[in-house]
Parts: sequence; structure tokens; C-alpha cells
Amino acid sequence: MGNKRIINILKKEWHVQSRDLNSILFVTLLPLLIIGQALLIIWLVERFGGEAILANSVFQGAIENLRDALPAVSGLGIEGQLQVFLLSQMNVYLLIIPTMIAISFATFSIVDEKLSGSLEALLATPVRTWELLLSKALAGAIPALLVTWVCALVLILGVVGIGWGQTVNMIVTPSLFLSIFLLTPAVALLSFLLGVIGSSRAKDARSAQNIVLAIIFPVLAIIGLQVSGLIWLTPLLTLGLALGVAVLDVFILRIAVRLFQRESIVVKWH
Amino acid sequence: MAIVEAHGLTKAFDGFTAVSGLSLEVAEGEVFGFLGPNGAGKTTTIRMLAGIIAPTSGHAVVAGLRPDLEPENLHQHIGLLTENPGFYNRLSARFNLGFFAGFYSGFDIDHQVEKYLRMMGLWERREDKVGTFSKGMKQRLALVRALLHQPKVLFLDEPTAGLDPEAAHEVRDMIQELSVEGQTVFLSTHNLVEAELLCHRIGVVRTELLALDTPENLRRSLFRRQVVVELENPNPTLVSTIAGLPFVQKIEQAGNQFRLELTDPEVYRPELVKDIVEAGGRIMSVSEERHSLEDIYLSLVREEENSG
Ligand SMILES: Nc1ncnc2c1ncn2[C@@H]1O[C@H](COP(=O)(O)OP(=O)(O)OP(=O)(O)O)[C@@H](O)[C@H]1O
Ligand SMILES: [Mg+2]
Repeated sequence: MGNKRIINILKKEWHVQSRDLNSILFVTLLPLLIIGQALLIIWLVERFGGEAILANSVFQGAIENLRDALPAVSGLGIEGQLQVFLLSQMNVYLLIIPTMIAISFATFSIVDEKLSGSLEALLATPVRTWELLLSKALAGAIPALLVTWVCALVLILGVVGIGWGQTVNMIVTPSLFLSIFLLTPAVALLSFLLGVIGSSRAKDARSAQNIVLAIIFPVLAIIGLQVSGLIWLTPLLTLGLALGVAVLDVFILRIAVRLFQRESIVVKWH
Repeated sequence: MAIVEAHGLTKAFDGFTAVSGLSLEVAEGEVFGFLGPNGAGKTTTIRMLAGIIAPTSGHAVVAGLRPDLEPENLHQHIGLLTENPGFYNRLSARFNLGFFAGFYSGFDIDHQVEKYLRMMGLWERREDKVGTFSKGMKQRLALVRALLHQPKVLFLDEPTAGLDPEAAHEVRDMIQELSVEGQTVFLSTHNLVEAELLCHRIGVVRTELLALDTPENLRRSLFRRQVVVELENPNPTLVSTIAGLPFVQKIEQAGNQFRLELTDPEVYRPELVKDIVEAGGRIMSVSEERHSLEDIYLSLVREEENSG
């Protein structure tokens, strides 16, 4: 993107982020904890709950979907199929990471500038509203995405570490790549855009957090439903979802620009 | 040539009118003072002129552009010193300036930053975090920010508010320097001395524009100059003789002192002296009383209060 004003904002945002040790730690540790927990749960379920799950009708339905989408799994025993099914759920975790980060960070993006008064000075420059909002969202979404990619790597390495190496190549499919490199970025941007909307409508950091939670929660719920294993994400479905979310991103950015009321932003705050 | 024009600018917030039917013009190179009490709508007007918020009705033309229609293009040509300096406190002065300058095109950022930081006496502190700056330093830094891209019109919203006398003095010197260089400045203030000192013309505002003229003309048109005559032997006959003179419009007595309003003091003052002496009056002193801008301002604002 050759937009000088967007790059200018990104550079400043990242400069600020890079000096904030607390948030760096938070942004990297939290996702790794989530991934660690995901690995632990997968391991526990496989180790102690296997029998019960294998007997469950929901699981049997899901396994049928899995066999349809991925005929190769039929070659594995039922245990192996369970492993593949559980691993395929890591999409959920990976998708949720940027959204989690957005809840805590996008919240402050606009409200901080409002409170310090720098926002009015910013609005007096030739920057366009959409450039300001998009770059605020990108400034969070891009690092969040990088963290997510690191997590994906950790997850795969972790799975190999558990000793499920042979099932990993079942999971590392075109779907996973499409999910990680298209769907997750689109969802990450969506979460941050929603966060920026919340932040631009709020009068202080606390109410921003409430607004952001209220608007991001439905997104989380939708992601959860979409990917909760009842739907097996084929490459085509993943691609379709990614495109759908990308279109939604553009739409949400337009709404964000409309909702960004300068009148309410430049009132006196003290 | 007018570089700032307002035509019936009006702004209402949820039914409350902050600025009403404001029309004025500011010429290129002029320092225009926008004077009014708290809540008069100064900041709101500046925000409308600078394309930060849109008017409810009416419109403006600044540097040939409509602030409500193409704010981003306008911003290329104006500088705004906001009421509150607003910097990123955790970043250095230089980083802050570089960031804000990064939105404009067509000038050498490093060169401009150095020039204005030196001019404002902040060059030595350029690598320090803005959070460590005093209020006066932040205000000067904000002035630098507003000037970097060499705007055609500089909007200053209460540039000396909250500064100690010395810091305020420095900022005023700066504005005078800019004025000498031909910079157009639109300055809001509730400080009369400042308006009188810096501005070529002054608009007095309180939701509506109450008066607009040079400081000198404001005085003249609002108050006829008064002649004060002190007599050794005031007596009723003498007083009624003076009051009966054709060029005397008004007479007030306070002990031996008489305050007279003449149709034209320049022409009739010698006449007055002669007539008093001829009527047997013994004059101890004759002087003229001028009103400060403060009186004018207060009387304008009070007049408005009484009529409203
Ligand atoms: N965004 C806003 N929403 C609602 N009311 C507003 C808003 N901005 C200003 N007002 C109201 O409009 C009026 C004019 O405010 P403004 O800030 O323009 O005055 P001012 O002349 O700059 O005052 P001061 O000398 O205190 O800075 C005030 O009554 C203020 O409360
Ligand atoms: Mg104000």
C-alpha cells in the first residue's frame, strides 16, 4: 500500500508499541498460553476421554464429515481419526487470537488520542478519516497476525512433540494455509476495525472496553459456531469465508467512517 | 483580498446554538482577533473555519476552499493551534513534529523542524520526551507544529491561555514576528490587551458577532471621546450656559469636574474653552478621556446580556 499517510501512522503506532514492554509481553504471552492450553486439552481429551467421544453421536457425525472432506483419514484407525479431528479444531484457536488481542488493544486506539488532545491536531492535518481508522486497525491487526502465525508454528511443533507427527501432514492442508493466510487476516482486521469503532464512540477507556466487548462478542460467537467442528472447513469453504469477511471488512470500514463523528470527538474533555 | 470568509456560519449542538449567523472576512496578511468571553463560540468557529466540524448552516471559504466540502485539501494550506496542545507525551519533540509533518507534502521536514525549533528556543530539547515539557514549551511546540508546512492561514485558539506572563510574552513576540513576515493569523482570545496589541482588526463575539473593526475605530464608534473640564467656580448659571452650547451633547457634573460630550472634540474644544471663559468661568484644567478597549468590550457584552 503506497499511501504515505497510512504508513506515517503505522510507523508512529509501531514506534509507540515497541517501547511498551508490558503490552509486548501481553500480546505475545497471552496467545502462547491459549495455544499451550489448546495442546493440553487435546492431549487430555485424547488420553482420557477418547472412549466417550468415540461413542458420541455428534462426534460420529463430525467424523463422517471429516471422511467426506478428507478421504485419506479412512486409512487411519478410529483413534487416528479422533486425533485429526481434534487437531483440525486448532483453527478456532488461531482465529480467536487476533480477536482477543483486539479486545484489549483496539480499545485504546482512538480514546487515548481523544483524551490527550492529539486527535484534534491529527484531524487538522490532511489525513482522511478512513485512512486514520484503517491505519489504527492495521497497526494492531498486523502484529496480532504475526503473533498468530508464530502460534500456528508453535502449535504444529507442539503436536509433533506430543508424538502425533504422523497425523500432522493430514492437518497441514490447503485449508489450513487458506485459513491462516486469508481467513485469519480478514478476521483480524474485522476485529480491530470493530475495536476502533468502539474506541471512537467512547468517552473514556473503560466505556470503550465495554463497547468493544459488546460488538466483538458476536463475532467471536459466529467464528466459534462456524469452526466448531460441526462444519469441516474445505478449501473452498475457507476461501469463501475469507472473501466474505474481506467484503465485510470494507463494509465495516465505511460504517466506521460514518460513525466517526467529529463533533463528539472534539468536545472538551476536561 | 479576503483569504478567510464566513457567510452566516451557524453551529447548533443538539438544539443549543453555539455560533449564530457569523459573517466576516479576513484579508491576506492580516492578524484578526476573535474576542469573546468563555463559551462565546470562539473554538467552535475556529473548528468550522479549519474544517474540523461542519456548520449547521452557512458556509466558509478559506484559502479558496470550502472547509465543509474538502477539509483534507484545505488542511494542506492551514495551520491550527488547538485549544489544548495535544502531543504524544512519551515520544520526543522531534518525533512528534516529524509525525505530524508526515501528513503534508512539498517541504523539507528536517529543515523546517530545525528552523522553527530554533526560533522557539526548543532546539536543545528536541530529543526530550514531550511529557517532560512545561506548559509554555508545549504551547511553543504546538505553534511549531502549526507552522511547519508554511500554512497560508494560521488559526490560533487562545495561544497564551494558561501561560505565565513571561511565556505569554514570548508567544506574543512570536506572533508579532509572523505578522511582520506577512502571515495571515486568525486568533481567538479573551484577553483584551493581547487582542489590542497583536491584531489589525477585532471581532467581538458572543454567539453572534457583536462588533468588528480596528481597535481604534471600535473605541471611536462606541464611545464619543469625552472632554473633562475642571472649574474653580461652578455655579448653576454657568452650568446651564455650558449645557446650552450648540455643540455640547451631554454634560455630567461631579463636584468641580464636568464631563462633556462634544459633537466633534477636535473642532469644538477651543470653542468650548473660549465660551466658558466668556461666561465668567475660571478653568483649572481641560483634558480628554479615552476609554480602554476593556470598557468597550464589557459594555458590548453587557448590552448583549440586557437585550437578550
Ligand atoms: N461538541 C460540542 N457538543 C456540545 N456543545 C458544545 C460542543 N462544543 C462546544 N459546545 C458548546 O458551545 C458553546 C461554545 O463553546 P466554545 O468552546 O466554542 O466556546 P469558546 O468561546 O471557545 O469558550 P472558551 O473561552 O471557554 O474556550 C459552549 O456553550 C459549549 O458548551
Ligand atoms: Mg475555546
